[in-house]
Amino acid sequence: MAIYSAEHRRLMEMFYPAHHHEYSEVLTSLGGFMEKEILPISPKLDTGEAKIAGPRKALLEHGMCQIPFSEKYGGLGLPFSVYANAVEMLGTADASICLSVEIHNAVAEGLSRFGSEYQRKKYLPKLLSGNSLASFTLTEPASGSDAGTMATTAEKKGSEYSISGSKMFITNAGEADLYLVFAKTRKGPSCFMVEAPNPGLSFGGDLRKLGMKGSRTSEVVFSDCRVPEGNLVGEEGKGADYAKEILHGARIIVAALNVGIAQIAYEKSVAYARQRKAFGRSIAEFQLIREKIADMKTEIDAGRLLYFYASRIKESGADYSSEASQAKVFATEMSLRVCDSAIQIHGGYGYTTDELHRHWRDARLLTIGEGTSEVLRMLIARRELARSQ
Amino acid sequence: MRIAVCVKHAVDETELKTDSAGNPQLKGAATKISTFDKNAVEEALRLKASHSGEVVIVTVGTPEAKKSMKEALAMGADRGVLVNADPMSMETRRTSELLAAAIRKGAPYDLVLCAEGSSDNYSCLVPPMLGEQLGLPYVGYARKIEVSGQSARVERALEDSVEVIEAPLPAVVSVVSEINEPRYPTLIQIMQAGKKPMEEVSPEAILPGLTAAPSFVRGMKAQAMARKRVVFEGPPDETAKKLLDALASEGVLPR
Repeated sequence: MAIYSAEHRRLMEMFYPAHHHEYSEVLTSLGGFMEKEILPISPKLDTGEAKIAGPRKALLEHGMCQIPFSEKYGGLGLPFSVYANAVEMLGTADASICLSVEIHNAVAEGLSRFGSEYQRKKYLPKLLSGNSLASFTLTEPASGSDAGTMATTAEKKGSEYSISGSKMFITNAGEADLYLVFAKTRKGPSCFMVEAPNPGLSFGGDLRKLGMKGSRTSEVVFSDCRVPEGNLVGEEGKGADYAKEILHGARIIVAALNVGIAQIAYEKSVAYARQRKAFGRSIAEFQLIREKIADMKTEIDAGRLLYFYASRIKESGADYSSEASQAKVFATEMSLRVCDSAIQIHGGYGYTTDELHRHWRDARLLTIGEGTSEVLRMLIARRELARSQ
Repeated sequence: MRIAVCVKHAVDETELKTDSAGNPQLKGAATKISTFDKNAVEEALRLKASHSGEVVIVTVGTPEAKKSMKEALAMGADRGVLVNADPMSMETRRTSELLAAAIRKGAPYDLVLCAEGSSDNYSCLVPPMLGEQLGLPYVGYARKIEVSGQSARVERALEDSVEVIEAPLPAVVSVVSEINEPRYPTLIQIMQAGKKPMEEVSPEAILPGLTAAPSFVRGMKAQAMARKRVVFEGPPDETAKKLLDALASEGVLPR
């Protein structure tokens, strides 16, 4: 299978008539790398027979995360849609690595947009080249999308901030070198860079998850964790706004990841339906299986168009928060439907084989993470009602 | 050390479709750098790393072939020369004449590297013809190349043995895929490859007085290969013996 598919190529031609050759060269190379280095080990990451660190580092060194960032900091300076397409491809190759890389790049996005020039020069080249791994720490044991209620604090002590509190369900925790941390100061939620190791920084055990088993997820604990005042990102008290802005972009990326998961489940289903025989013929000849295949394909294509649409609005500089949320809600719920159909088409083998049901398990995270479907529907409705006034 | 590497922009055999008569649909077919050519490029880059010098990519192809040339440049080659002609419409002799002319124009080279064959047609005829055209020694199917001074020690992978040949340089050497693992260009290298020099020349410019080729390709047909679909039934020790007998009678295994 070609991870960078004819459908992707056509979208590049439609959206970027002047540059699609160049973008397709980059994505073709990336797809070839994923087919050879990521896709074959994906089942082993799910079962724990392989570890994420090696392939993730190779992917970062290959340049996956450089795509949307400025050449000034070691990026490729390509459009966000090209990066989103690459994320979809990585979702097809392996969802766990994709989740880890997506979080890493959300930190790079935050630094790129809200960090000082000193912070960008210090951190971005290392993050984009794969020499450092980053983690985004916002969610707490008792707060999620309601960032204003966070309990983690950052108290100014001389020329330092002292951060105390804990963060929950943190991807890349314990593996990352760099943590983008949201904590309350006297002026409100603020954003800090915390470099590991730090005596005030510790981690819980790797949480047992339903899916995304290749990536590490745990609690991050800050106990009088001291950082220089220069590690404050942007302005004190603006952390909640920064988090929202970072998450809007990340929602497009999560949508792309889910389209990728759905794509691999669909491709396995088509191949299985062709070769599985029942009543003397291939089950792909039965109308009810064909209905499933038709619906799966239609929904995947719709999800892809939604995340591309949101990406293009982001590139234009206009408000894209509603479109990003629409793409995320649709694509995450769609991938669950597609993966469920994939299990149904595979019958008993679908229910009993990690290699197939892991896609449903992986997809299941993402109607929850980075804004639940419920919260995002509130956001979409609020934004659309405001637009129509 | 100056090395010329011959690269073909080939039909992507993994995406090739056939019509109802089983013939390959070449018009509009997906294309890519010929798979084994990446091994030749990789070997040239390794030799350059040990001996310093320059790696030049030479291609006979339409302007679309620049895609494959860019891939080779992204891997680390220094520059490219494209002879603007359609290799699918010509047979191997004309292709080797044009490659040889482009190589002579850029001479002197210490080594000319090719893949054993292209991943689409796989005739394996161009490398030996190239040796003949250039008047250079030709060593085919190399699985290891060591260069020392003005000679190359080449291990050839033959069907049931390995042959070691020492050839004076310059020479033409074709490589097999086991010789190395081609590197992946990083995304930055891919973006930067477009800035490396790519020279485009016409066949007439490098072969003055070029006349029509004495032979040309009229078309291509796929050869139908019917499977025998033999099924052995019975307990495993009996069916295994039947399978061995059948393979021996087909000449796959020695009797």
